[in-house]
Amino acid sequence: MKTKPRVAVFDFADCEGCELEIADLEEEILELIDIVDIVSFREVMKEHSDTYDIAIVEGSIMRPMDEARLRNIRSKAKILVAMGACATMGGINKIRNQWMPDDVMTAVYGDADLEGNPLFDVFKTKAINEVVPVNYYIHGCPIDRDEFKHVITSIALGKKPEIPRYPVCVECKKNENICQFELGAFCLGPITRAGCKAICPTHNSVCEGCRGLIKKAETDCVKDLLERYKLSYEDIRRRCTMYNFGREECGVDE
Amino acid sequence: MEPIVKTLSKKDFLSFVDRLINEGKQSVIGVKAKGTHFVFGPLETAKDLRLDYDVTILPPKKYFFPQYEKLMEYNLEKPFEVTQNTEESAPIIIGVHPYDIIALKQTDTYYLDPQIDTLYKKRRNDAVIIGADIQKVSSRSFAASMNTHVTEDGFDLLLTDIGDKIAVTIGSKKGEQLLEKYATAEKITGKETEKIKKIRSSLPSKYKQAVKLSKEQWSSALVANYNHSLWEENSDKCMECSSCTMVCPTCFCYDVRDEVSLDMKDGKRIRTWDGCMLRDFTKVGSGEVFREEVKERYRHRFFRKGNYLPERYGFVACVGCGRCGIACLPDIADPCNLINDVAHFGTEKDTNRFFIKQKTEAMEKGVFHVPRSATIKHAEKRSEMDTLFEIELDDQKPLGHNPGQFVEVSVFGYGEAPFGVSSPPSDTPTFEIMVRKIGNVTTKLNSMKIGDKIGIRGPLGTGFDVKDFEGKNLLFTSGGTGMVPMRSLINYVVDKKNRSKYKNIIILYGAKNPKEMLFLDDVEQWKKVENIQCELTVDRCEPNECWGGCTGLITTLFPKIKADKLDSKNTVAIIIGPPIMYKFVIKCLQTMSIPDSNIWVSLERRMKCGIGKCGHCQINGVYCCKEGPVFNYEKIKLLPEAFE
Repeated sequence: MKTKPRVAVFDFADCEGCELEIADLEEEILELIDIVDIVSFREVMKEHSDTYDIAIVEGSIMRPMDEARLRNIRSKAKILVAMGACATMGGINKIRNQWMPDDVMTAVYGDADLEGNPLFDVFKTKAINEVVPVNYYIHGCPIDRDEFKHVITSIALGKKPEIPRYPVCVECKKNENICQFELGAFCLGPITRAGCKAICPTHNSVCEGCRGLIKKAETDCVKDLLERYKLSYEDIRRRCTMYNFGREECGVDE
Repeated sequence: MEPIVKTLSKKDFLSFVDRLINEGKQSVIGVKAKGTHFVFGPLETAKDLRLDYDVTILPPKKYFFPQYEKLMEYNLEKPFEVTQNTEESAPIIIGVHPYDIIALKQTDTYYLDPQIDTLYKKRRNDAVIIGADIQKVSSRSFAASMNTHVTEDGFDLLLTDIGDKIAVTIGSKKGEQLLEKYATAEKITGKETEKIKKIRSSLPSKYKQAVKLSKEQWSSALVANYNHSLWEENSDKCMECSSCTMVCPTCFCYDVRDEVSLDMKDGKRIRTWDGCMLRDFTKVGSGEVFREEVKERYRHRFFRKGNYLPERYGFVACVGCGRCGIACLPDIADPCNLINDVAHFGTEKDTNRFFIKQKTEAMEKGVFHVPRSATIKHAEKRSEMDTLFEIELDDQKPLGHNPGQFVEVSVFGYGEAPFGVSSPPSDTPTFEIMVRKIGNVTTKLNSMKIGDKIGIRGPLGTGFDVKDFEGKNLLFTSGGTGMVPMRSLINYVVDKKNRSKYKNIIILYGAKNPKEMLFLDDVEQWKKVENIQCELTVDRCEPNECWGGCTGLITTLFPKIKADKLDSKNTVAIIIGPPIMYKFVIKCLQTMSIPDSNIWVSLERRMKCGIGKCGHCQINGVYCCKEGPVFNYEKIKLLPEAFE
């Protein structure tokens, strides 16, 4: 039998919610270890190995020490998977990029003397692909477990995962939801990458764009939409702060 | 014949529904409230049934053509083990409005002709449709102007609220039996019959929206405005979310993909709703997107409704339900507005020019989703990216293809992809395909070994009519992988048995570079055939590469054709190559005075289902997988999407 690929899971600045999603596979974890050897996964096991084929990286990069650690991981892994919004695009951690790192530190830690402490030596938040090349992305905050399984089995089978490039509306309509716009809300679904099964609007909450924007906010159709619903560019910029800070004009990245 | 109509008191009607829910074998679906809207959903009690609804968010198509549907299951631990999905749950659906009933009849035409979708058919046969006359008109509906606000058939029972009672029109034996079994209905009185008539006849006045053109005029209004600026003006606002097609009762295009269980022991092939407004809808393995611009996709949606399907089946594929008008955020999807807009700009008589009338036959009897088992007999690497496979059908029957036809090859867990057959017709159960590593299926195939099992559906599509070419000079032009299906045809005509039926043969063949030249061993054989001229070229050749042919585009080979070999009126030209190649080659042929009707092309599109159902390969009104991929240029040249 073919040897199973060795998988290591790492985290940087994040809430570890995506790792929890993997842990929440429960008995399916047994199926997972049928196809891969998990050699490092701090949240669920104490063993650790530095020999792995696939690195699954969660979290954003905040400090020079993170960068060094990530480069080290990249150098050991054949395949690197960015998992969750913090890793795929910076996500929530980029909210602070609207201020200078020093000002953020002062606002949070006041005049505490942190000089020379590498743990507090922060720069502007970076997504994983701003530091090292990424092979595959598992989007979302948190990730969708089915999509995680799809990406993992695809890698194991040696095929390219099929990740939607169309907006959340497609899945929202399949779920027969009432449109959030019709309910008077401002939903980012029309410009956000699907794949989450439209979980937020299905539970009567607007889409916050955690899987990344697939249309630039400056596109004519977005401008027209904002106008139609009496919203401004400032409104969309503000809404994008949560997951897509600085990415309003990025559009789809792959 | 006047239908039989009975009546039930409201109380008896509720108990009829409750008895269906509690005593019947089938699950019962009805219209229920969801917030300020309505949906079809499982009924737990008759009290939840809302016959006073205006429109549901999704049409009842979801019960016949579900959002996600398992077509088959396969076992990845066995060489080839696949089971078609048979688990069925066809419900009784209560409260279907006439426009949705008419939409289901259209879906029947589409899914049952000529190839029968067995899963769909089973559900349709088993389900019970209990329709309901419209009580409240949806604000965006224009059904009255489409004459879809009432219907005389397509239901098992039809309910009309006549005030104190519910009138039940019997539409089928099945409906009649159900009513007899679960209710005691009374005979309708003359007065009550009048009431029903009045309810139906007063309905049109309740509509706020109306299409100004009759259904028969849609086609001509659209064709006259194929190049109108309004497609672009409107589509500039389009979010490309395909909400319009998702909620549409007459949109039934689908995608198919393979899912694998986490332990990778088994998997399933899933069919999901797809939408022609999405960019990747027309994307093929090589990355080419055939309707790249939003404008083209936006126009396609309306042409499919108002021109392509009407020309093919005789019905406008819009029933005026107004759902897309509600769902579309920028409000550009409503056919009522669109048709009224184009109605101003004149009409066109020649409405069938985007469609090729051609009788096609159903491919195999019975199931068509599940592939036949086949074995890789021989695999030979022909270039860095290409491997030639010899495949044997395990049922030992010959494939029975014509040159130019294709097969869908399945590798379970990876999916299905179309391949032109590269071997000539044969009496043996083997055939050949050339596989270029591009996507998931082709990459996997390239790593497969002799003895491995794959799935085959086909032969599919319309190939070359080799009889029609008899007595003619043949000029073959192929570029790149176009040589793969071309080889099937060339090897047929140069075969000793057939060579005398054809006159002079000229073969022009170009590839990007010497490494990508395919079948050079065949070329050597062809050169030995009597009265044949073979000319090869590559776009580029590195200084260190060994290459004896020409350099330059395929068109540089035309001046080399020996004029005495070609009597243009008696020459048939066959072209297969990348999309960009056609117009340049056709220009050369026209310069040689070869009439358009003597030119044959084979076109590449996203052939997914291979039987004209999934919608991906459409070239205007034509299904490339069914009417093509081989087309006569004279006919296909009228289709603007063919050579864009």
